[in-house]
Amino acid sequence: MLEVSSTPLVLMAILGTVGIVLPLISIARRERGSNSFYAAIAFAALIISIGYVCYSLAAGSVAPSALFSEDVLADDAFGGFFAIAMLIVAIFTTVGSFSYMRKQNSPAVYYSLILLSAIGMVLVAYSTDLVMLFVAWELMSIPTYILVGFMKKSPSSNEAALKYFLFGALSSAIIIYGISLSYGLTGSTNIGEVIQGYSALDPSLLPLALLSVGLFIAGFGFKMGLVPFHMWLPDTYEGAPAPITTLLAAGTKKAGFAAAIRIIVLGMVALNLDWTLALAIIAVMTMTIGNVAAIMQKNLSRMLAYSSIGHAGYILIGLAIAPFSSLGLQGSMYHILNHAVMKGAAFVAIGGIVTVLAVTNLDKLKGLGRKMPITSLGLVISLLALAGVPPLTGFWSKLMLFGGALDSTGTVWWAPWLAIAGVLNSALSLAYYGWIMRRMYFEGEREKRISEPRSVVAIMIFSIAFMVGLGVYPEPIIQFVEYASPAIDMGIMP
Amino acid sequence: MATESLGLPFEASAASAWLVWILPFAAALIMPAVGKLSRNTTGYVAVGFALLSALSAASLLPMALEAHEIHHQITWIDAIGLKGGILADPLSVIMANVVGWISFLIMIYSTGYMKGDKDITRFWFWMMFFIGSMQLIVLSDNLLQVFFGWEGVGLASYALISFWYRDKKKDHVGTEGRKVLGLLDYYAPTHAGMKAFIMTKVGDVMMIAGMLLIFLFAGTFGFKELVGDTGWATAMSAQGLLVPAFVLLFGGAVGKSAQFPLNEWLLEAMTGPTAVSALIHAATMVKAGVFLVARIGPIVFALGAAGILADQFFEIVAWVGAITALLLATQGMVNPEIKKVLAYSTGSQIGYMMMALGVAGLSGQYVDGYTAGFFHLISHAMFKASLFMAAGSLLHIVGSRFMTDMGGLRKHMKKTYAFMWAAGLGLMGAPFITTGFWSKDAVFAAVFESGSQWAMPIFIIAVLTAVITAFYTTRMIGMVFFGKKSRHIENMEEKGHHIHEASLSMWVPYGILAALTIGIGIIGLSAEEGLHHLFDEYLHHSFDITSSYHGSEDSMLPEFLQGLNPVALGSSIVAFSVGIGLGYVFYIGRWVDPTRFVNSNMFFYAIHKVMLNRWYLNAIIYWCFVVAPLWLARGVFRYFEKTAIDYGMNGGFQKAVGWSAKVIQGTQTGVAQSYLFVFGAGLLFVVLILLI
Repeated sequence: MLEVSSTPLVLMAILGTVGIVLPLISIARRERGSNSFYAAIAFAALIISIGYVCYSLAAGSVAPSALFSEDVLADDAFGGFFAIAMLIVAIFTTVGSFSYMRKQNSPAVYYSLILLSAIGMVLVAYSTDLVMLFVAWELMSIPTYILVGFMKKSPSSNEAALKYFLFGALSSAIIIYGISLSYGLTGSTNIGEVIQGYSALDPSLLPLALLSVGLFIAGFGFKMGLVPFHMWLPDTYEGAPAPITTLLAAGTKKAGFAAAIRIIVLGMVALNLDWTLALAIIAVMTMTIGNVAAIMQKNLSRMLAYSSIGHAGYILIGLAIAPFSSLGLQGSMYHILNHAVMKGAAFVAIGGIVTVLAVTNLDKLKGLGRKMPITSLGLVISLLALAGVPPLTGFWSKLMLFGGALDSTGTVWWAPWLAIAGVLNSALSLAYYGWIMRRMYFEGEREKRISEPRSVVAIMIFSIAFMVGLGVYPEPIIQFVEYASPAIDMGIMP
Repeated sequence: MATESLGLPFEASAASAWLVWILPFAAALIMPAVGKLSRNTTGYVAVGFALLSALSAASLLPMALEAHEIHHQITWIDAIGLKGGILADPLSVIMANVVGWISFLIMIYSTGYMKGDKDITRFWFWMMFFIGSMQLIVLSDNLLQVFFGWEGVGLASYALISFWYRDKKKDHVGTEGRKVLGLLDYYAPTHAGMKAFIMTKVGDVMMIAGMLLIFLFAGTFGFKELVGDTGWATAMSAQGLLVPAFVLLFGGAVGKSAQFPLNEWLLEAMTGPTAVSALIHAATMVKAGVFLVARIGPIVFALGAAGILADQFFEIVAWVGAITALLLATQGMVNPEIKKVLAYSTGSQIGYMMMALGVAGLSGQYVDGYTAGFFHLISHAMFKASLFMAAGSLLHIVGSRFMTDMGGLRKHMKKTYAFMWAAGLGLMGAPFITTGFWSKDAVFAAVFESGSQWAMPIFIIAVLTAVITAFYTTRMIGMVFFGKKSRHIENMEEKGHHIHEASLSMWVPYGILAALTIGIGIIGLSAEEGLHHLFDEYLHHSFDITSSYHGSEDSMLPEFLQGLNPVALGSSIVAFSVGIGLGYVFYIGRWVDPTRFVNSNMFFYAIHKVMLNRWYLNAIIYWCFVVAPLWLARGVFRYFEKTAIDYGMNGGFQKAVGWSAKVIQGTQTGVAQSYLFVFGAGLLFVVLILLI
């Protein structure tokens, strides 16, 4: 049994209570509460949660990376790692919404939905049971459908929500189909037992098992934004309220990876076949299509949406080479954390720009470096970090990913090509990041400085400190990643 | 052994060693904020932090003077086995104190010199950054960390040399309109900063190449680690890479210390504020190269003692030093700008230090040349900082950089006059009473007794340079303080300007240093003995280099006799007398008019012109590396870039990427049905790959 003080349960209690109470307060106060009041409560709840995760990790009360458990949830470092990444994103979203929501209605519901979605994300990372995972997955997704369509009067917001929901529903159906197949084959929904069952499967049933894995890839791949399951993503990111895009791009997307590591990678290890090539092909397709499409975009959100498709490709490199090099999963997890902060910061910056200037078109950014110096600086540093420029934090995770690919050269022939594709794509991505920077700093007349939203400035400062500080001195994070990442080899079984 | 036997709290000392370089950086970091609050306090903050940094350096002295050391490491990036750390041994602690205290005095001076400048915050930021970078070089325990400081110093020097970036006429150096080989010998501050940056960068590239070569074999950048196990050196030596690697490292020192052939940036560096020049020349920049040679020299010598010879390294160091010493001294004789004379003199004196550090490795008694070189570094730091600050006062008050615009100032600026004599005597090496004499004499002795095949030619160059040094220093003082007032000053006085002494915060710092030059000079011999003894211990403990004096209780005695080598002593006294005598004839007594003397016959005229035109070295470098490449680049741009790249490759590639982006965008129709179709097809695709 899970202890009451175990991290997932405590997080559920904190975030769930606050999430439910927020709208009640709003009703009690006849919807007169101010935006800042609810934001502050939500922020406090998230800070307490992240503090508890860090505390429990530091206190050593969690298993290093158990991955399997008798219970539906495991209190392990793997989950803790993802929980930290996602709670950071939730905090970014909350703080980033602060100035954005000032002009919108029903703030209590808005923040409450963010909190509920945050519980879902965190629980996905901690789940060790397929049903639990599915419930958490839905808990994470459903609030985001509403949040994407939060601007009731905006057609693009509605369209985005609708598309997102259509695909979400489809992928949920696909996931549950996969779950039912695996339950039928193994008689259990516990991930450990499913994988154990897979490894001792009757050969004639193997195609069915493979089908279930394929269904999982498609189902989770939708959230991860893998090509060809990515079509909804640019439309949705563009139409959604800017802070919510942060949540989608940096948060829920990462939950997809957490689930993928738990199920797809481990499951396929158990099936003991040459499955990695499929992930490698998807990885190369994803990063190439994402980056090439981004190059011609004129809309900032859309450009970053494609860029985040590209980054899903980099992360997938790590999953593809996971059985051959321990750097693979470590690199993936490291890049997931980095990407959460880098992309989160970039979207928050865009949110700030949208709030103040109401533009998202690239050509309208001229002279932004003078108008909004701190926001621009944060955006530039996060773009450089995304491109993997040393000594920013993105450099180290890409180094691990590509280095891991080169490490596995001896085992699989295509591994170095992954690294080459990754490096070429990084170079390509610098082109469109460079355009943004050029617009902001090298064009435009002498502009006057505009006052920047304080909440955005706070996030920018935190992110710059994170990206530069942990870029110059990455040691603690690398150690944490090593501690939290599951050691995969063909032999491990629950 | 070094650390435990001492009563000092170990951790506290390690912390203060870190603080020595962290404090100036911290000051630089907060400087913009301080400047926002109040521009007038920036100076006090800078002086305060410089003092704190110097004090923490001083707190290490007792430990270092007993030949102990502190080595403290932290993990930097564990994944590639990189460690950072500080190494406070006698060498670095003494250097840190020289840098720290002289910088502190220069900072005090700067509060006066830079008073009222509009960009004062930027000035203090870069000054503190400069000091921090230098102290980082001094206290680092590995080459990589040194390189970070090294680049920091380069960056700060760039920013400070071109500090007056508006390129006003009064901030230029050189004579307007004068041409050498068809190129203007007249430089704007921004050009000068760029020149310094690029020329030192040539050395930096060599340095990083050498560093990486050593890392490739040794797997470490650490000085301590390089000494312990010599397997790497054997392997490098077997491939013939050992000497090249160290010579490449020395290339970095050549660039930073403005040695031949990378010496030309030093003159244009005079466009910076004079406080910056003082800092560059006395404490923070050009000394970095000497320090680097002093850091790696013992490592190379210890390898030699272990049978892995690298004598060529020391020969190159010694000869580069000797050539630079003479080359720059000759140019110093003829230049009309006071700061340039001092700049030439710096390069030349650094040449002495390199010479001593080089011949040290060629002799059996490494410690002799080592002490001589380092002692000369210390004494030079004092008198040169003093001279520069005094020259800055003159510039400040006279408003011209040309000595021909001065003259007859000794009655108006008595203090500056006296201090300049004191420090100038140090530079000339006035017998028995100045530090400069003892350190120069030690260099002479070390060269003379090295027993190398090059001893005699280098010794002759050294003595000749000493004559010239004494001559140009006398010339400088004579032109500035003696004779009639120049027309420039008369004009100023007619306009109601009053020539007066410099302000208190300006003359006190160079007064202190001038007094120290004489004060330490009087006890110079015992100071030298102390240093000699200390380095003897240090080299023995840290590098296992044992001299013949080592261990004997009365090690003072034979060294005492050694220090007073009669030939060296006689030569330096004669050199001083001849130099100052000639200078007196021309510039103080004014018995012979120098202009008429030079023009009296073709031979003198030709020599004078070659020297004034900087041996044509600068012009040749510009022709080869600036004019010709620019010409080539324009050709490539016009004929190759415009046609082949722009129309051919570039356009084609651009079109291909643009086209594929359009295709991908074309699939993004916005129609949900087609999205769902792709989704389904993708699912099928994935399952198919898995099943196949």
